[in-house]
Amino acid sequence: MRKFLILLKKEVRELLTMQVILPLLITAILFFALGNILSKEQEKTTLPIKVAVLDQDQTPQSASFQSVLQHSNVEIEQVQISNDEKTALELTKNENKTALIVVPAGFGRSIGTDQPQEVKVYTLVKGFSVFSGQSYGRLMTAISNVNEIFSQNILTSRLPNLSSDQAKNPIKIDEFTVVGTKQANLSPNIIMGFVSQQTSFIPIILFIVIIFSSQMIATAIANEKENKTLETLLTTPVSRNAIVVSKMAAAGLIALIASLVYILSFRSYMNGLTGGMKMTADISQVITDLGLKFTPESYLLMGLSLFAGILVALSISLILGAFAEDVKSVAGLTAPIMVMVMIPYFLTLFLDINTFSPTLRNLTLAIPFSHVFLAAPNLFMHNYFAVVIGIIYQLIWFALAVYIATRIFSTDKIVTLKLNFSRKKLF
Amino acid sequence: MLALQVKDLSKDYGRIKALFDVSFDVEEGEIFALIGPNGAGKSTTLKIIAGLLSPTSGSVAIKGRDLRRESAEIRKMITYLPEDSGAYKNLSGMEYLRFMSALYADDRTEENSFVQKGVEICGLGARLAEKTSTYSKGMVRKLLLARTIMSDPALAILDEPTSGLDVINAMEIRKIIKRMAKDGMTVLLSSHNMLEIEFLSDRVGIINSGWLHEIGTAASLKEKYKAENLEEVFEAVVTQSEEKN
Repeated sequence: MRKFLILLKKEVRELLTMQVILPLLITAILFFALGNILSKEQEKTTLPIKVAVLDQDQTPQSASFQSVLQHSNVEIEQVQISNDEKTALELTKNENKTALIVVPAGFGRSIGTDQPQEVKVYTLVKGFSVFSGQSYGRLMTAISNVNEIFSQNILTSRLPNLSSDQAKNPIKIDEFTVVGTKQANLSPNIIMGFVSQQTSFIPIILFIVIIFSSQMIATAIANEKENKTLETLLTTPVSRNAIVVSKMAAAGLIALIASLVYILSFRSYMNGLTGGMKMTADISQVITDLGLKFTPESYLLMGLSLFAGILVALSISLILGAFAEDVKSVAGLTAPIMVMVMIPYFLTLFLDINTFSPTLRNLTLAIPFSHVFLAAPNLFMHNYFAVVIGIIYQLIWFALAVYIATRIFSTDKIVTLKLNFSRKKLF
Repeated sequence: MLALQVKDLSKDYGRIKALFDVSFDVEEGEIFALIGPNGAGKSTTLKIIAGLLSPTSGSVAIKGRDLRRESAEIRKMITYLPEDSGAYKNLSGMEYLRFMSALYADDRTEENSFVQKGVEICGLGARLAEKTSTYSKGMVRKLLLARTIMSDPALAILDEPTSGLDVINAMEIRKIIKRMAKDGMTVLLSSHNMLEIEFLSDRVGIINSGWLHEIGTAASLKEKYKAENLEEVFEAVVTQSEEKN
C-alpha cells in the first residue's frame, strides 16, 4: 500500500502540470465571469422596454392602446405629433429606444369596425444575440396584450350577453403531464422547458470529462515512454497491477476534480443564461410532484454512471496508451474513444433513443458511453433500472479493459508495442 | 552461490530470432560484460534478465531464484539501467532519488540511507535541488547510475552505462562502477566500447547475431586469439562466427 501511494503521488504530480491546471482554471474563471455577466444582462430584461410612440390619432382609443402597453412593462416616450415618421425614427435612434410605434390617424375612429387597424412598429435591431431578441419578443407580447384587451372590448360591446372569454375560447384545454405513474395539471411545454434547462449542460460536461480523462491517462503512459522512464519503472519492486491502478487512479482523481470544476462553472454560466431557472412556487411544486427534481439517489446514480464512464475511458485509453511511443501520438491513438463518445453525444443531444430502429438502438446501447449520456434522461423518467443496468454494463467493459491492460503491462508487450501516428506522414 | 545463472536463453520476436541458447554465469562481486555489435542481442539479454522481456525458452536464476517463478522477489534484488533512459522531468534530482528509493526501501530509515548514498554517488551537489529537465546528458546519466546502485542490489544490470557521454563523464561513471564492484556489488553490463570493457570487467562474453561465442577474462581471450587488445579479439570472433554461418 505504501508503494502504491508513492506511485499515486508521483502520477498525480506528473499529470497535474500547468498545462492541465491552467486551462481548467481559465475555463472555471471564464464561465463564472460569463455567468455573472449573463445574470446581470438577464436582470436587465425585467426592466421596462423603452419605446417611442408617434400618436397621430390622439384619441381615447390611442391613449388606451398606450396605457395597456405601459401596464405590460413598456416605457413610452411621446414623439411630437408635428414630426413625420422619418423624423420620429431618427429621434428614436438618437434616444436609443428599442422601437418606434406609429399609431395612425383614424385609429380610434375605426376601432370596433370590421376593418383591422394598422399600427406600425419599427424595431431597431442592435444585435443578433439571444438577449437582443428578447426585447423584441417582450414588445410583441405587450402588443398582443393590447390586441387581447381590444378584442375583449369589441366582443363585450357586440355580444353583451356572451362572455368574451367564452366567445374566443369555446374549447378549454385542461392540460395534464404524465411522467411514469405521476401526473400534474400543467402543460408539458413548461415542464420540458424546465427539464431541458436543467440538463442541457450535462452532455457537454460528460463529453469533456470523458475525453479529458482518456487523454490524460494515454498521455501519462506516452510521457513515460517518451522520457524513457517506463522501462526503469517496470523493473522496480512494484507489481505491474499497482503501476496500472496508480495511473488510472491518478487520472481518475484529476478527471473527477475537473468534472466538478466544469459542472460548477457551467452551472454558473447556465444560471446566468436562464436567469437562475426562476420558477413560480406552483411550477416548483408540480416539478417536485412529478419527481422531476434530482433526488440524492438520482445524483448518486448519475455520479456512479459518470464514474463508470470515466473508468471505461481510462481503462480503454490505458490499452491504447500502451501503443504510444510519444506524447504526439496520443491524439491519434485516443481517436477511437473520441468516436465512441461523439456518437452517443450527438445522438442523445437531438434524438430520443426510444424512437430508433431496434438495430440502431442496440448498436447505440452497445457503446458503453451511451449509458452515461442516457443516465440523466432515464433518471428524470424514473427509469432507474435502465441506469443501473447501464452502470453494470459499463463496469463489465471496465473489467474487460482492465484485464487486457494488466495483461499488456504484465508481459513484454508494454515494451514492444508501438504504433506511432506522429511519424506517419501523409505527404 | 552464483549471482546470476543464464541457461539456454532464446528469444524470438515473431519470425525474427534475437537470441540462440545463450548461457553464462556471473559470480558474486564480479563485473561481467557482454560485448557485441549493434543488434547482437546484448540489450535483449539484459532486458530478459531485468524481467522486462519474457524469454522464448531457457531460464534465468538470480542468487538461485528462478526469474519466472519468483519475479516479485527478484525485482527487489536487481536494478536495471537501460541504455536509453531518462528521469522524470518535473522532479528535481533529489526528488527523483527519493521516489526511486521509496520503491526499493522497506521503511523510511532505509529510504533515507538509499537517498544519502545516491547523493554521494552522483556527486551532483547543489544541482540536485533543480529539476532534472535542466540537467545535461552526463548529469542525468550520473543520477540514473546513482539510482541504479544506491539500493545495494544483488545484481546491477547496466546497458551501455556510458553511452553518449563525453570522455570526462564516461571516466567518472566507470570509476563509480569499479568502486561499487570493489565494495562487493555484482555487475552485468553491456558495451561496444572495448577500452571500457577492458578497464571495467572481470570477464567478458562476446555475442554476435544472437549467439554467445566466447566467455573469458580479457587476458585469456587475448592469449587465445593472439591479439593485442579486446578489439582484435572481437574482430576475430565475429569474423569466425560469420564464416561459420
